[in-house]
Order: sequence, then C-alpha cells, then structure tokens
Amino acid sequence: MSNSTTIKRLPLRKKRGPFLYFILPAALIVGVVLVFPIIYGFGLSFFNWPQVNDGTRAFINVKNYMELFKDNEFWHSLFLQLGFIFIAIPIELIIGFFVAILFNHDFPLSGFLRNLLLLPVFILPILSGLTWKLMLQPRYGAITYLLSLFGMEFPQGILSDQSLAYTAVIIQDIWRMWPFMFMILYAGITSLPKDIMEAAEIDGAGFLKKTFSITLPMLRGTITTAILLRTIDALRIFSEVFVMTGGGPGNGTMLFSLYIHKQAFEFGKLGYASAMAVILIVISLFFAFGLVRKNMDIDTM
Amino acid sequence: MRKLLVVLLTVLFATMMFSQSIKVLAWDDAHSQSWNTLLKDFEKATGIQVDLELIPSGSMLQKTSLNVTENKANYDLVAIDEGNVAKFGDLLLPYSQWPKGKVYPKVGTNDIPAAIFAAAEWGGQLVGIPNNGNMYIWMTRKDLINDEANKEEFFKHFGYELQVPQTLDQLMNMCVFFETKGIYGFAPFTATSEGATCEAVMFFESFGTSVLEMVDGKYEVSLDREKALQAIRFYKELMKFSPPGAMSMGHAERIGAFSDGLVFSMFQWPGIVPSHENVDESMVAGQIVYSAPPAGPFARTAVRGCWIFGIPKASENQAAAAEFAYWVNNHDVGLKLAEEGMTPVRTDLLNELSGEKPWYTGMAEAGQFAVSRPNRSVHYPELSEVIKNNWLGAVTERITPEEAVENMVKELNALLESYE
Amino acid sequence: MKMKNRKKIIKWIVFISALIIVLVELFPIWIIISSGFKRDLDIRNSNPFDFQFNLRSYELVFQKSDFVPSIGNSLIIGLSSTIISLIFGSMASYGIARFRFKGRKGLSYSFLVSRMVPQIALSVPIFILFDRLSLTDTHIALILAYTSFNLPYIIWLLLPFFSSVSPSFEEAALVDGCNKRQVFWKIFLPLTAPGLVVAAIFGFIMAWNEYIYALILTGNATKTAPIAVNGFMGQYAPKWGQLAASGTIILIPIIIFTLTLQKYIIKGLTAGGVKG
Repeated sequence: MSNSTTIKRLPLRKKRGPFLYFILPAALIVGVVLVFPIIYGFGLSFFNWPQVNDGTRAFINVKNYMELFKDNEFWHSLFLQLGFIFIAIPIELIIGFFVAILFNHDFPLSGFLRNLLLLPVFILPILSGLTWKLMLQPRYGAITYLLSLFGMEFPQGILSDQSLAYTAVIIQDIWRMWPFMFMILYAGITSLPKDIMEAAEIDGAGFLKKTFSITLPMLRGTITTAILLRTIDALRIFSEVFVMTGGGPGNGTMLFSLYIHKQAFEFGKLGYASAMAVILIVISLFFAFGLVRKNMDIDTM
Repeated sequence: MRKLLVVLLTVLFATMMFSQSIKVLAWDDAHSQSWNTLLKDFEKATGIQVDLELIPSGSMLQKTSLNVTENKANYDLVAIDEGNVAKFGDLLLPYSQWPKGKVYPKVGTNDIPAAIFAAAEWGGQLVGIPNNGNMYIWMTRKDLINDEANKEEFFKHFGYELQVPQTLDQLMNMCVFFETKGIYGFAPFTATSEGATCEAVMFFESFGTSVLEMVDGKYEVSLDREKALQAIRFYKELMKFSPPGAMSMGHAERIGAFSDGLVFSMFQWPGIVPSHENVDESMVAGQIVYSAPPAGPFARTAVRGCWIFGIPKASENQAAAAEFAYWVNNHDVGLKLAEEGMTPVRTDLLNELSGEKPWYTGMAEAGQFAVSRPNRSVHYPELSEVIKNNWLGAVTERITPEEAVENMVKELNALLESYE
Repeated sequence: MKMKNRKKIIKWIVFISALIIVLVELFPIWIIISSGFKRDLDIRNSNPFDFQFNLRSYELVFQKSDFVPSIGNSLIIGLSSTIISLIFGSMASYGIARFRFKGRKGLSYSFLVSRMVPQIALSVPIFILFDRLSLTDTHIALILAYTSFNLPYIIWLLLPFFSSVSPSFEEAALVDGCNKRQVFWKIFLPLTAPGLVVAAIFGFIMAWNEYIYALILTGNATKTAPIAVNGFMGQYAPKWGQLAASGTIILIPIIIFTLTLQKYIIKGLTAGGVKG
C-alpha cells in the first residue's frame, strides 16, 4: 500500500478527453435501446390504458397514482415486498460473508466446492420455485417429511397457509441467493492485500477482532455493491414466487411485481401497472442513494 | 425463347398463387404439438407453408395483445382462450365471413354443438371456431365401484347401487362411504386462479343460480342468495372428504392425488386426462370411468373452457388461415391428430374414438350440459377475481358464507357501476 | 510443532464444514437432477433420496422439436451479449472510477435507474421499438436488449473492484510512455481479473435465464432455452420430469462457462506474476 515516492503523481483528475472513449459505447447502447421504452413506460403511467383498445384510452393526469394510494392491495404488496427485502437480504449477506471467510482458507477441493455452491444461482428461476413447491407438498414433499421428523406437522401443507407460504418464499430466496453474496464477497476478500492480513495475524489478533476491525471496513465498497445489486433485483422478484404460489394463498405472497403483473396482464390495466412500476423505481432509488452515499465515493465530487 | 419465357412466367405465377405462408400462434401442449407432427401433410395438400409458434399458455395473452391490433397482425391465426374473446372480439373476422375451404370444408354447427361453438361468440355473432373440446368431465374410479365387497356394503347402508354418482347427493353418500375405506371421496379446486371461478360457477348453476346474467348486452348481478349459500355449504361439506392440502389445491395437487389412487371422484379437464391414463404418471391408468358431472338439485352442469381460433381482421392471409383452422377440425385429419394427442371438438370424432379413448364418452355426455362463465366482457378478469376470492374465502373458512355472498354481490355491483 | 498441528486441524475442520454446507445447499439441486431420471409417478411416490435411472423424460425432451435449437440460440445470444457487456461495461466502469468528469454522478445514477425499471413495465415499449424496426425474431434484437440490461449491472459490479486497485501501476505505465487506453487494456484489466470473472459469469447467467424479453422479442426462429423449458409447464400442471430434465440440460453450458473462466484466470494470474 506504500506509494513509491520516486514516481511523480500525474494529474489524472484534470484530464477529460479520454473519459469519453471509455464511457461512450456503454452510454450509447443503454441510451438508444432504453430511452424510448423508459420514457414511454413513464408516460403511460399518466394514462388510462387498457391493453386492448376499448375506446377508453385517455390522458388522466395523476389519477392512477391517486387510485393506487387508495388501493389496499397495493399497500399490502408493498408491505410484503419490503418485508421480504429487509429479512432476506441481510440473512443472505451474513451467510455469504461467513462462508466466504471460511473458503478463504486453503483446503482440499476448495475450488471445486466453491463452484458447486454457485449452482443455485445458475438454475432457471422457475425451476427453483417449482422445486421448492415440490419439496413443500403436504403428502410427498421432502421438506415436509424432514420437518415431520422434528415433530412439525403441517396437514394442510405449508403453502396453504399465508404466513407459512410467505416464510417459504423468503427461505427459497435465501437459499438461492446467498451464494451470490458469497461470490462477490469472496472475490473481494481474496483481492485484499495479503500483507495487511498477515500482519494482523502476527500481531496476535483473534478471529473476531480481525474480522470486524480489519476485514469488514476494507470490504465496505464490496459489501455495498453486493447489497445494492441484490436489492435492485430482489425488489423485482417475480418468476420464482409466481410458480411457487401464484401470489397466494389469497394474496399472502402477492409481492410487488406479482401485483404489477396481475394488473398489467390479467386485468390489462397498463397505465395503472406503469404507475406502480414508477413507484418501484422511486423506492429503488431511495435504497440506492442510501447505500451508495454512505459507502462509495461516487457521491463525493 | 418466347415459349421458355411463358413457361417461366407461368411457373412464377403459379408459385406465387399457391406458395402462401401463414403464421400461427398457439399455446404449447400435447394438443397443439399434435398439429406439428402432421404439418407436412397440410403443407403438401394445400401448398400453404405454416410457421407454427407454440409458447407457454400463461404467456399467450401478452403475446397476442402485442401482435394483434386494429392496424397490424403479425399472426394470421391465433388461439384465444374463451375468457379473452371479449378482449379481441372486435379485432377478429366474423366466422360468417370466413371463406369456404378450398381443400378442407368449412366446419359448421352440425359438426360442433352450438353450446361449444358459443365459446367464440362476441357481440351477437361468432368470431372464430373452437379448436379444443374443453369442458368439465367427471372421473370416477371404476375399480372402486366394481368391487363386490364395496357394492354389497354400500347397498346395505344406502339402499341403492354403487355407481358413477348421478347427483351431488349420491356423491355425498359415496364420500361418507369411502371415508371408512381410507379413500377421499372428492378433490376440490381451491388454488387462487381461474379454476376456482369454474368451481363456483358449476356449483352455483347446479343449485339453480347464475352470478351474472347478460341483460341488453350488459351484465347484471343475478345471484340468488339462498341458493348460493346452499351451494357454498354443500361444497364445504364435500371438502371434509378431501385429501390433505385441500385448502389450496391446484391442478398439480389434484392430478397428483387422483393419479396416486387417493381420490374416488372429481372433475377434470379433458386435456389433462391423458396424464391420468399414462402408466408412467398414474397408478390408476385404465381404472377410470368418464361421465358428465353429477347433477345438483336444480341442474346438471359442465363448465366450458375452450380455446378458439380467430383470424385477425388485419391479417393478409385470411383464406389460408381459415384453411388451417378447417384442417385442424377436419374429420379425417382429426382421426390422425387424435392419435398424436389432440383433444377433438367434433361430435362425430368423440363418438367414433371413444373405444380407445374412453374419456371422449364423458366429453360427449358433458357437452349436452355445457354452461359458460360470464366471460363475454372485457372486464371479465376483474369480475372473476371477485367471484373467485369470495368463493374461496367462504370454502376455506376465511370468511363466513353469508359474508362471502354479501361481499360478492356488493363488489360486483360496484365494479359494474364503475364501467358505466 | 503445535502450530503445524493446529493448522492441520483447522484445515480439516474448515474442509468438513465447507463440505456440509455444500451438501445441504445442493439438496434441492439433487432433487431437480434426480427428478429428471424418474417417472412422474415416482417423483410423487418415491423417497427423495432414491436414485432411479429412467430416461423417458430425457427422451421426451429431446423429441420436442424446439428444444435443441433453443439451446443454440441461447448460446449465441448469451455469449454475444456477455462479451459486449463485459468489454463496454468494464470500460465505462473504469471511466467512472478513474476520471472525475462533469456529470459523473448523474451518468452513474442514470445507469443504475435504467437497470431498476421492472422488465414487465418495459416489455410493451421494447416490443413496439423492435417491431417498428422489423427486428423481432432476430438475434440482434435480443443481444441488444440483454446488453442494455447487463451493462449497468456490470458497471456497478466492477466499481468497487476497480476503485480498490492502486493507481500506481497505471501511473508507472503512463510515465513509461503508454497512453491511457493502452494502460487500461494492458495493465489495468489483468489486475482486476477476479472481478471480471464474476461480472462475466453473472452477465452470462442473466442472459441465459432471462424470460420476459425473450418471450416478447423472439419467434420460432430465435426461441431461447427458457421459453422452451417453460413450454414444459403445460397448460394446467407442469410436466415435472421433463421440466427437471430440460432444466438440468441447460445448466450444463453455464457450468462449462464458469469452469473455463475460472481456470483461464488462474492460469493468467500465476503466469504473469501479477500480484497485488
């Protein structure tokens, strides 16, 4: 980490020209492909826009938003979604972190086992949802059976109960995505300068002290990235839950994207659904600002 | 030289005339996959090239609404679930205007019963043709009703012969009886999806009431509270004789329970039946009798759930598209298609093939009692949502039957008013 | 002496713990793989730990005419969009990490916002866009759509890795006479290999498993693997054996992709002697 004093520090900061070379291709692709759709989607939220034109398509200003405000289902979905985020993601992070530390040792087959751990992230989301549905079947599900060995009986089936189904959906996500956190954190940990870690060990620092005062602070940016990326996607989770419970029982697992899907494609109310999408983006931005501001230097100008 | 030119021009002209191509969009299932296996025959006989696109059925609505509009149609023939006919009705060519078939004759109402053809009705006319004969049929375990010991004991207790239940009361008796044998008499449909609305409609109609009725082209609430309550209470009773998980049973669970031999009788869609008759998937293959559903105190009903073929008005290959639709519903072609997994809708096919496929008898019988859900409205999904949620709330005991009926009427009225 | 034994014991404890974690985590994967080899009847009625060997589901999967071509389509589209996203994404991430230019914050957040929009909301206008350009049912449409989707993700994924690399190597190279672009390609990228590998893997997974854009933008010719696999969902109930079999098959290219990347990077790291 010591800066060689024989090298002049060049004023990288002042130059502007080259940055275009690096930024332009990405900005161009994203801009061209998405600018029209995003503006369209945003604009649509101010219209009454049934999927199939029955003559009532019209500009209605903020009526969609006002209707959403009064919609109990909307608030319920939002509540379920936020609960999902605040429970699943921290757990995924914690498990991923400790397993990353575990794997940061040298032991036989570590590379192979590391690759195996990633499999849940690789499989098709619907397959994940369906597998969990299968494992939770009251009669023949593997998990139902294992739980009964511990004396927990569910004659009606776990997925028939609103709270249990919600718990199951959360556990499905934790199972699927903690290896994602693991992967990012592992890459982060193994990129840490080894001299610091070794110095700490020689100084006699215990495991816990080492972790909390040295490893974690250095990983701040990585951890923030992991949470940020995971949150953006978790806020939009759809397929796994859809095939696992369809939003039910009742509306017990009607997470936000499922409600958007219902409004857009079952009821065909595209304007209303677009308004919900806009709200989702706003919420995502809140999370993003909150995370990035404290932990990454993007914000310091 | 000139002769060569004439020949060339004629060939060019001929190929232009006859080598047409159409794009067809349909849902992916054994039924539609059968068309794929025989597509070459169609192409050879008519010279029409077919680009048949099959996608997951849950995504059909989305893709159809994107690709079929007043001005543009990226497909020449689309399969439409009858619940969505209202959405596309105005965009489709009325059946009366479909051209006569060149190679395959136009299918008429003497080939397909009017009650089934009605799936394609919109605004007072037919806007397409049904392409699968989907309606409630009733499955009963043959081995259980033929068992001598069962027959004797049942007769002793109830005073009539153990048979395929003809009425709901008989069904209830049999449920009570089979409980003592460790068999579940009935399996409900209680997943939060359209299937629950179908159950609600069947039982309401069997007890003598319709939820919504078309008056002067608009729907009005017509639910008789007393009869509705009777229907709900009866269903709740039946559920006491259902397998574990009855509170949230969808297709996968019902199919599993019946195929694993746990259930005595229940309704089923014909498209699913092949799975029950497949030895790799079912323990009761060959042990099933098919019939119309048992009658309620008021009527015998079989809920209809067909897909239709529609030709978008904006299509540029309407004649060719019609030709394909006639091919699918043709008698001789149908004999071969049925072998490959198609569910026929023609009455003659159902009768002729019932030897190898016993459930066709059930379909033919059930067809006489076909009733439809109130789905001739663009707002049907929201209406169905109200019916479904309140029905399920009552039968799964989240709310009382009285609350459910009150709510249903109230919410439906509110929705109908908001559409004015 | 004691130090060595202690290390050995820790090594074995760690190994056993890692093994247990992996086994528990992979149990559902086991269910998927083993279900592909069971009859549907046995999936419901046999012990989950049982392994039978019945190839009927695999037979049915390969008999379905759209399945194998769909894997080809997914490979073309997945690899193309991943490569493009990785190249342009790492460039953009570098630009943001290393250069303080006007609008830096705005640009970064714009990328982020574009990634936050639910695909459901974008599906209709994206269709309209490509339909007007007559690009539906082409590979290029989906490659562009996926790249636009992956770029922001990869940019933000690489930011912490790029920011944490010490600028001393780049500065040394600049002094030696390289221009900024050469510095990026020849010096910087090799240093951030672990991050690049992670980005490539996630980018590929995303493109490989994506459903909504694929549904909207593809037709018969460009149908991708997730659509074909979803076809086994059936109109009423999933054909579980075939779903499991096809799902297992489409796992394989991802596994190969990941293993190749990891091996390649490790070779690169040790050969070049580039160590932080």
